Amino acid sequence: MDVRPSAAQHLLASTAREYLRRHHPIETIQRPVGAPAARGAAFDDKLWRGMAELGWAGLLVPGEHGGSDGSLLDVVLLVEELGYAGVPGPFVTSAVAATTLLLAGASDAQRARLLPGLASGTRIATLAVVEESGRFAPEALTLEVTAGQLRGRKRFVKDAELATDLLVALRGGVAIVPADAGGITRVALDTLGDERLFDLTFDGVPVGDGDRIDGRAALAAAMSAGALARTAELVGAAQRVLEMAVEHARTRVQGGRPIGGHQAIQHACADMVRDVDASRELLHLAAWKTSEGLEAGPDVATAKAYAGEACLAVARRAHQIFGAISYCDEHPLHVFHERMLAASADFGDAALHLETVARAIGLEP
Amino acid sequence: MDFALTAEEQAFAEEVRAFLRAHPPAGFPHDGMDAGYGSGANSRAFLKALAARGWLAMCWPAEHGGQGRPMFWKLVLMEELARAGAPFGPLAGAWQTADAIIEYGSERLRREVLPAIGRGEATFWQGYSEPEAGSDLLALKTEARRDGEHYVIRGHKIWSSHAGIATYGLVFARTSREARRSQGFSMFVVPNGTAGMDIRPITSLTGEVYHYQVFLDDVRVPAELRLGPEGQGFVALLNGLDSDRFWGRFYKAPALERMLRRLVEHANATHVNGAPLARDPVVRRRLAAMATEIAALRALFTRAACLMRDGAPITYETAVAKICADETGQRFAKLGLELLGLHGLLRPGSADAPLDGELSQAYLTSLGHTIAGGTAEVLRTTVATRGLGLPAGKA
Repeated sequence: MDVRPSAAQHLLASTAREYLRRHHPIETIQRPVGAPAARGAAFDDKLWRGMAELGWAGLLVPGEHGGSDGSLLDVVLLVEELGYAGVPGPFVTSAVAATTLLLAGASDAQRARLLPGLASGTRIATLAVVEESGRFAPEALTLEVTAGQLRGRKRFVKDAELATDLLVALRGGVAIVPADAGGITRVALDTLGDERLFDLTFDGVPVGDGDRIDGRAALAAAMSAGALARTAELVGAAQRVLEMAVEHARTRVQGGRPIGGHQAIQHACADMVRDVDASRELLHLAAWKTSEGLEAGPDVATAKAYAGEACLAVARRAHQIFGAISYCDEHPLHVFHERMLAASADFGDAALHLETVARAIGLEP
Repeated sequence: MDFALTAEEQAFAEEVRAFLRAHPPAGFPHDGMDAGYGSGANSRAFLKALAARGWLAMCWPAEHGGQGRPMFWKLVLMEELARAGAPFGPLAGAWQTADAIIEYGSERLRREVLPAIGRGEATFWQGYSEPEAGSDLLALKTEARRDGEHYVIRGHKIWSSHAGIATYGLVFARTSREARRSQGFSMFVVPNGTAGMDIRPITSLTGEVYHYQVFLDDVRVPAELRLGPEGQGFVALLNGLDSDRFWGRFYKAPALERMLRRLVEHANATHVNGAPLARDPVVRRRLAAMATEIAALRALFTRAACLMRDGAPITYETAVAKICADETGQRFAKLGLELLGLHGLLRPGSADAPLDGELSQAYLTSLGHTIAGGTAEVLRTTVATRGLGLPAGKA
C-alpha cells in the first residue's frame, strides 16, 4: 500500500504547479480595485493552447488518437493543480467528462472524428445533462430524438459558447450535436462565481444515427469521471485557500502579535487541515480504484459528498480568518469559494451521492 | 499510488479470519472493561491465544524471537480483530513497549520482559499523568532517586488504564532536578507488586473500573529496568507520542464500521409508523454522511501508516488522525443513540437493548477519548504550530 503519487505522477503535478504559477498567477484571479465586477471569466485562449501543448487536454486519450494514454488518477492529480491555481474554463467538461463519455461509448468512427481534436485542444466538447429540475438525475432524463430531430431544453450547460461539440444526454443514450447546428438557442445565465453556464434550447436539431450513443453506460462513466474531477478541483482550491489563510494568520498582526498565535485561529486552521487532507485521501482512493478498473461507485460518491461539505467549510473558515478584507470583490478568496460552490453542485450534489453511499452500506432502498 | 494489500497481506488477513472463526471472540473471558477505542475489552486469554499463533512477536527481528514481518502485518491483524469486535485491549501497548525495548532496552529487559510480551503474558499501564500534571506533563512531581544499582521512585500517578490487572507499569519520573525543564526525565518498567506500590481503582462513569491511581512510596527498581538513557525520557516520550496517537486509535475506523453495519441492520429491521427506519430519508442521509466521515477517518490513518512505515517525517499527521478518530466516534455514538430512541438508554445486559447496548456504552466511553492521550485542544495546537508553522507560545 502506498498513498503517495508515483515519481511520474509527482512530476506531472509539480510541472503543472510551476507552469500555472507562471502562466496563471494569483493576479489573474484578483480583480483590480475599481474594475467593474466581472460576470464569467474571460476564456484565456493562450493558456488553453499552452495546456494542450503540454498534453493535458489529451491525457485520457489513447495514443492512436493523439493522446498520451494517461489514467483518470493522473487527470485527478492534474485537476487538483488547476483548482489550486484557480484556472477557469472547460478542462473538466471537455478533457475529462466528455472525453470519458466518448471513450466509454463512442463508435470507432465517432472516436476518430472527435478524439484527435479534443486531445489537441482544437475541439472543445461539453455535456448537456441537467433538465428543468436543476439536478443531475440521469434516470429522470426526458429529452429524446424523435424522427431524427432533437427538441427540448437543457439547463446549466457549462462553457457552451466555447464548445465545438455538444454531448446531449437523452432518455436512453447520448446525441452528439455540433454546437453551431441550426435550431439551437443559447441563453447565458447569471450565476454565482465566474463559471459560464447556459440554457440551451433545441428546436428540431437534426441528429443522424451516426450521431447517437445508445445506452446509459457511457453517460454513467462520464458522470463518475466528472464527479472525480470536480472533487479534485475542490481539493486543489481548498488547499490553496488553506495556505492563503495560514499565511495571513502568520503575518497579520493585531494587538502586537500575529493572529495565528491565538488558539482560536490555530484550532480553526487545524480543522481546515483535516478537511483538506481527508478530502484528498478519499479522492485519491476513488480515482485509484477507478483507474484500476475496480468497483468504485461508492468511493467516488463518498469522496464527492465528503469533499463538497468539507472543502466549503474550509472556504467559510478562511473568510473568518481573513476578516473584512475577504468581503471585497478584489480579494481572490470569494472567487475560489464560488468555484468550490459550483464544483460541489456539479456532477451530483451531496444528496445524490449520499444516496449511493446509503445503498452501498446496506440500507434497503 | 496503490491502495491494495499485497498478496501476502491478504493471505495473512484470511489466516486471521480463519482463526477468529475457529475461536469466536465472544468465547474469551474479559478481565477489564472495553473503553470503546475499538480494541475491545482486556482479555488475557485472548492475548495468549494470539501469542500462541506467534502473532505478538511476528514483526520483531529474528534475534529477538520474531519473524521480521513488515509493520503492515500488525495493521492487518488489528483491522481483522477490530472488524470482528475481538477483545485485544492491551495489544497495542504491548507492541509499543516491545518496540522500545528492542530499540533501546537493557539486556535484562530484552531477556525477561520481551519474551513475556511475546507469550502474551506481559501487559503495561502508563504512569504518565499525575493529579497536577495532565496536559502539562512536564509539571509532574514523581521522582526517581539513584541509589547504587537501584532507583527509588516516589510519587503519585493517576488515570493509568487497567493498571490493577497489568503486569508492569511504565513510570515516567524526574531523575534530575538540575536539568532544564524538558531534560532530566526517565522511563522505568516497574513490575506490579513491587513493594511500596499501591494501586487503587477509580470507578468510571459507566460504573466499571478502567483507570487506576498508583501511589509509589519509595519503590525500589533495579537500574536495569530503566527504559532508555537516563535523562532522555522526555525526548523518547515525545518521539513516541506520534506513534502513540497512531497505535492507540488505528482500530477506531474498522470498529466504527462494524457498529455502523449493526446500526444499518437495525434500521432495516425496525419499523417506525409502519415503515422501515431505513426508508426515512433523514435517517438514510445521516447514516450515509456518517459512513463518509468514517471513510475519511480510515483514509487519514492509511496515510499515517504509509508515512510511519517509510520513516517519513511526521509533524501533524497522526495528531490530526487522532482528533478525527475521537470526534468521529463521539458523533457516531450520538447519531446511533438518536436512531434507537428510548431503547438507546438501555445498558448492556438489558433484555431488549438494541445492538446489545453497545451504543449507550460507546456514547459514555467516547467522552474520554478526546481527553486521553493528548486532548483534542492540545493536539489542534500541535497541528497548527508543528504542522502549519503558526507561532507557538501562550495564548
